[in-house]
Parts: sequence; structure tokens; C-alpha cells
Amino acid sequence: VTTSLHVGFRVGPTDYAVPATDVLHLDTYDAATPVPGAPPYVAGLMQTRGKLVPVVDLRARFGLAPIERTIDSRVVVVKVGARVAGLLVDSAREVIQIDDASCEQPPDVFRTHTNEFVKAIATVTKRLVLLVDVPRIIGEEHSDG
Amino acid sequence: VTERVDLREFLGGFVAEAEELLVTANSTLLEIDGANATGQTRPRALKDLFRALHTMKGLAGMVGVEAIVEIAHALENLVRAAEQRGGKLQKPGIEVALGAIRAIGDRVRAVANREAVPPPPVELLAAIAAIDVGSGQLEAPPAISAKWDDRLAADEKRHVGGALERGAGVYTLTFTPSTDKQERGLTIASARARLGERGDVVKVVPRSVGRAVVFDVLVISDAPQSELAALVETDAIERLQRAEPPAADPDALRDDGSESSVSPFGRALVRVELSRLDELQEQLSQLLISKFRLEREVAQLQANGFDVRRLREIVQAQSRQLRDLRRAILRVRLIKITEVLEPLSLLIRSLARPNQREAQLVLDTGDAELDKAVADRLLPAIVHLVRNAVDHAIETPEQRIAAVKARTGTIRVSAGEIAGNQLALVIADDGRGIDRDAVAKRAGHSVDSDAALLEAIVVPGFSTRDVATRTSGRGVGMDVVKKIIVDQLGGQIELHTARGVGTRFTLRVPVTIAIVDVFSFVCGPQTFVVPVSVIDEIFELEPSQREHLSEIALMQRRGRAMPLVALGSLLAVDAGTSSRNALVVRRGDEPIAFAVDRMLGRQEVVVRPIDDPLARAPGVAGATDLGDGKPTLVLDLVELGARMSLRKPAVRA
Repeated sequence: VTTSLHVGFRVGPTDYAVPATDVLHLDTYDAATPVPGAPPYVAGLMQTRGKLVPVVDLRARFGLAPIERTIDSRVVVVKVGARVAGLLVDSAREVIQIDDASCEQPPDVFRTHTNEFVKAIATVTKRLVLLVDVPRIIGEEHSDG
Repeated sequence: VTERVDLREFLGGFVAEAEELLVTANSTLLEIDGANATGQTRPRALKDLFRALHTMKGLAGMVGVEAIVEIAHALENLVRAAEQRGGKLQKPGIEVALGAIRAIGDRVRAVANREAVPPPPVELLAAIAAIDVGSGQLEAPPAISAKWDDRLAADEKRHVGGALERGAGVYTLTFTPSTDKQERGLTIASARARLGERGDVVKVVPRSVGRAVVFDVLVISDAPQSELAALVETDAIERLQRAEPPAADPDALRDDGSESSVSPFGRALVRVELSRLDELQEQLSQLLISKFRLEREVAQLQANGFDVRRLREIVQAQSRQLRDLRRAILRVRLIKITEVLEPLSLLIRSLARPNQREAQLVLDTGDAELDKAVADRLLPAIVHLVRNAVDHAIETPEQRIAAVKARTGTIRVSAGEIAGNQLALVIADDGRGIDRDAVAKRAGHSVDSDAALLEAIVVPGFSTRDVATRTSGRGVGMDVVKKIIVDQLGGQIELHTARGVGTRFTLRVPVTIAIVDVFSFVCGPQTFVVPVSVIDEIFELEPSQREHLSEIALMQRRGRAMPLVALGSLLAVDAGTSSRNALVVRRGDEPIAFAVDRMLGRQEVVVRPIDDPLARAPGVAGATDLGDGKPTLVLDLVELGARMSLRKPAVRA
């Protein structure tokens, strides 16, 4: 059985995960600097470990209503190729093992509904965990360097 | 928000060094006096005296005690003149010199007692100036070559003469500019820069030949003649030979004291205010902008079906020239890191004594160079790490001997250039290493890796000490080091520590950074900055103008109609109607005013580019840290103004 480590987080009522190998670190969230003219789902810029990184608000990205940020709010700092970005989530607590065999393709209807941000669905201790497509979330297909 | 180095920290070390130098100066003067009595000369003693004074001057300059600098400088001149004119200092000169040494001594004591340092006595300076050091003439500069003798100043002749004397290669060459060379990026400026990389360009003199201008260049270089010729594409190159046997005393006193970092070509140096270099860079960025405009126009022409090949070649050549120019300017700003770190040796002396530690500093930074602006910001961080090492890392001599270590602890600061624009600076000590358990206890969690340890100690307010030592505990902690290296300079810190063996900090910093003079202001809930260079004017809005603020309105200013843009609504930040000030920028010939809530101030900041496409937006030129650890956006109001004029007028009810 092959399993891989993932960082689990929560946005709204749903559990999501990204591969731990793509995650640089987790950071607490304390207001990002809004960038006028940036896409609406970009919460702004933050400085983390000496880097200037854009923060993508996953609630906005997933079409959920904005909420007041709490002490549970976290920024999952991910690396995609040469790019580093932060994903603002409602909470992020655990590192989870995901059994590769438990991963399934999301149903077509669901995939379209979620704007193809979800690339697979895994089952972890009988809970559904959605594996997100990080490059797509940070608009990798639009960036041409 | 740059941390300044507190000069007081160096004063203890300065006093100790200065006292030793005064003893040397006094004893050499007495030696000369004794030799005079028996009709002998003591050229060696005179040289020692010169060196002592020169070092004194340098040290006093370093800690900013101008009175001592002035006296030492005057006396140094007297001693040099005496040496050049036959190596003799007679009784009156010795009396005056002893008086001057006493005056310096008084001032060193004032420094030691933290008293105000009295200015140099006018009579003393006059007396030094009045000393006649003898009838010997200052030796005439050597002849170089018929072509150059009339074109060189006396000190340049001495400089070149010295090079010929050493057997160094001295070449005279003629550079002939041409459009062809220019297109390949070879102009007199780049020729000079290329030669400058391979040697010392003494002089460049333009000369007209018919209607063209050529340049005669005199260069001292160890590179082969053929290489120099190829560098600047010339056949007209000739190696100069010694014109006549040199009359120069090779052992003559020169202001090239080995303790200082003055270049061997001391006289060829010129001091330039940093602000002028900034100005130069500012001009250069303007040039870059007009180059971009040019490129756009060329693309437009091409789109309209014109043949733009020649134009394109010229634009490409210009791009290369601009790149060369940019590099050349950046190089001018670089200073040797050794120069920056010199005060550290004084710091070690003033720290080690009160702590009953014995510590030596080894500077191993070689020829590594750094932008002056980076160096100035970096020094406080290094001072802190060195101070920490003396205070906490180096054990007492007894402890060290018990641990089978050298009695004297060593703190080594070394540098090595790593990839591209980054420099690694290593501050290593052979002390006791960081106590992981103590840090873990204090931090409230385990710190198993060096990275975790570093994370823990850079937390503001962190200290494992209950009682601040005399030298530490002045309020700067590792958090300040992190702030400087990581937040301000965009660098990185690494830590390696081993119990009983020592600790090593590696600081990776950019060699150059973009420092920009900016105005900061508030607009809505956010603070922004804008480069001072683009602002024509700042004025206060009249109450009536405030009331009628819409996205864009017209206002009268100095008899002209000027658009007034509410920056808050343009940026869609919630600004309300509290705009008090307006900033005027010029787009082409047209002024545009931007209304902002209120001005905060003016400061120099490090601007960092926004690399990620997600956070790149038109009108946002970069980000900076105003000291709160959060990014503040640098706006390009000219660009915003340009977009304004592209927008269709909003339809209003």
C-alpha cells in the first residue's frame, strides 16, 4: 500500500489536502496587504520568511461567502515550480496519510461545479478529503512567466 | 527604520588603540630628538611616526572624533614634508609635534571619560603650519612620454612613473569610435569600463582628427598588449618605456598606510556622495523607460508595414549599452566589505576587556564587495552577532583551558560570493555553542534542528539570560538581525551550532539593492509609498475641492486646468471624503493631481519587485517594508495616470 503525506486543511464545511512535498510551511494569518487591480480572490501580499508572496483566499476562490478571520485561520505556503504562494484557509491542523489507492476521480458534474479545482477525492478514516489542484488555483495556466 | 550602529560601542577599543599609538609617537619623537643631538638622522623613526599618526587619524575618523582627525592630519603633513625634504625634523618641529601629541592625548582622555572633546587649538595648528622643514625641494614629477607629459597632472605623472619603475605595463592607445562599434556596444564609455576591468585607466583625453573625435587612453595593466588591443578593437597601442632613470625614492612616505584599505593607486581615487550616484541611477531608469517607449514605437511601425530592421539593430545596440552602463554604475557603488567591517576590531577590544574574555577577530573577507547601501544596513546585524559571540559564546580563559581550547577565543568573519547577486557572510566563533535545552525551555517547545533553533531565537524579546550583561542587553536581539537580513534586505540566515565547538551564522544578502527615496501617504485603510522623483508638487486641498471629489474632476491650479483623481476610488480602496492632500505627477507634459487622505513622511526604502503574476497589477511598481514587517505597495502614479486617460468616462446618474 503506497501512502503519501498530505497537509489537510478546511475551507467552509469541507476538508481539503495538498501533498506535503508542495508545502513549504504553515503561517498564521494576520492581514495581507491588498493589491488594487489583482484578481478578486487574491487577498493580497504577505511577507513570510523573507519572501513576498501572494495570498489566495480559498473561500473567494471556491465561491464561498467571506467570513471574519479567526485565530484558526492559516496560510498554507506552497511552492509550484519557481513560484511560491500562500493559500488562505479557515484552519489547517493536521498532516494526514492518504492511501493512493483510495483516491478517485471526482465525478464530472462535481468537477465542473468546482471549477476543476479538485483533482481527486480520497477517503481518510471514512471522511472525504478533496485533493486540490494547486497550479490551477494559483492560475498557473494563465501565467507565461 | 535602519538600525544605526552606536559609535559609543567602539570608543573603548578606540581609546586602547589610541593610547598605544600615542606612546609610539612620543617615543619616536624622542628618538629623533636624541639623534639630532648627535648629528644623526632617523628616517625609520620618522616613518614610524608617520604611520602612527596616519592610523590615529583613521581610527579617530572611524569613531567620529574630528578634533583628533584634524590635529593628526596636520602633524602627518608636517612629518611627510620633513621626510620628503631630507628626512629631518629639527628642534622647533619636535617641540610642536610633542605639543600636538599632548593635545591628541587630552582629547583621547576626554573620549575615555565620555566628556565633550574640545576643538583643536588654533595656535597649535598654526604652529604646525609655520614649521619650516628645510630647504629641500619637493622632487619634480618624472617625465612619462612626449605625448602625455603636458596632459598629466603632477600626481598622475608620479603614479605612472611609479608603475614604470615597478616594471608594470603602461600603455598608450587610441580608441576611434564608429557607428559600427557603437552598434556592437563598444563606445568610449564601455571601452573605458573594459580596460578598467583589466587595469587602471589613468587618463582618457579626447582629440579631434579632422571632423572626428578619437580618444587617447593611458592605462596601467598587467594584461598582454594584444588583449588590451582586442578589448577595445584598436591597432594604435604602444607600451611606454621608462623615460629616464627614476629619481623617486621608492621608500618615500606615501599615504598608502598598509593598515587602511586605500587602494595602491590612492591618488586616483575620488570620493563621491552616495546621493549623486543615486541621481545617476535615477537618470538611468528614466533612460530605460524611454528605451521601452522607443521599442513600442518600433513595434508599432513594424505593425504598420514599415521596414524597421536598421532601427531595430540600433535599439538592440542601445539596450546593450544601457545594460553595460547599468552594470558600470552598480560597480561604482560597490565597496570592499573589509572596509565596512574594520570597526569590528575595535568592537572586540572594547567588549572583551570588561567581560574578562579573551577574543580575537579574524577578518577573512578578501576582495568581496557589496553595495554601500547594503553594507550600511548590514553592519548593525554583524555587530550584533559579534557582540553576542563575545558576550555569550566565548568562554572565560579558565573555562577554555579546562576544555582544552586555545585561551583566546576566535571570531571569524568571512565572505564568499555565491551565485549571482548574492553574498554569503559567515560569522563563526569557537565558543561553547548554543544551549539547546535552555532555548527549548525558554521557547516552550523542543528545538531539535538548527533551523528550529534559529526560529526560536529570532522571536522578538527572546533571551535565555535573566540578567543582561554590560555589553549585551541593549535592546537589540536576534530579532533585529532577522529584521535586517530577512525583512529589509530580503536575505536569509542559517545557523549551525555544536555544543562546546562553536556557532556559525551564515548571512546571505543581495550584493545590490534598489534604494528609493519615497513619500509615504495614507489612502483609505492602506499606506502606500511613491518615489519622490516622480512627484512634481504636493499641495493641500481646499475644503471645496474635498467636497466635490469624484473619481475624476477638474481643478484650477496656477491658472491651468488640471485633472484631480481621487486615488482611493481609482484603487477601489474605501477612502471616503477625508482627502486632505494632492500629489502632482507629470505624464508627458500634462500634470495630474491625485487626492490622498494624508501625507505621512519621506524616507529611503528598499524596493523589492513583486515577482508573482497573481500580485502584479498595473500601477504597482513593487513593495517595501516600512518597518512593520508587512509589505507596503510602491505605486507608479504615472502609470495609473496613463490608465486613467485610457478609461472611458464613467456614466453617472
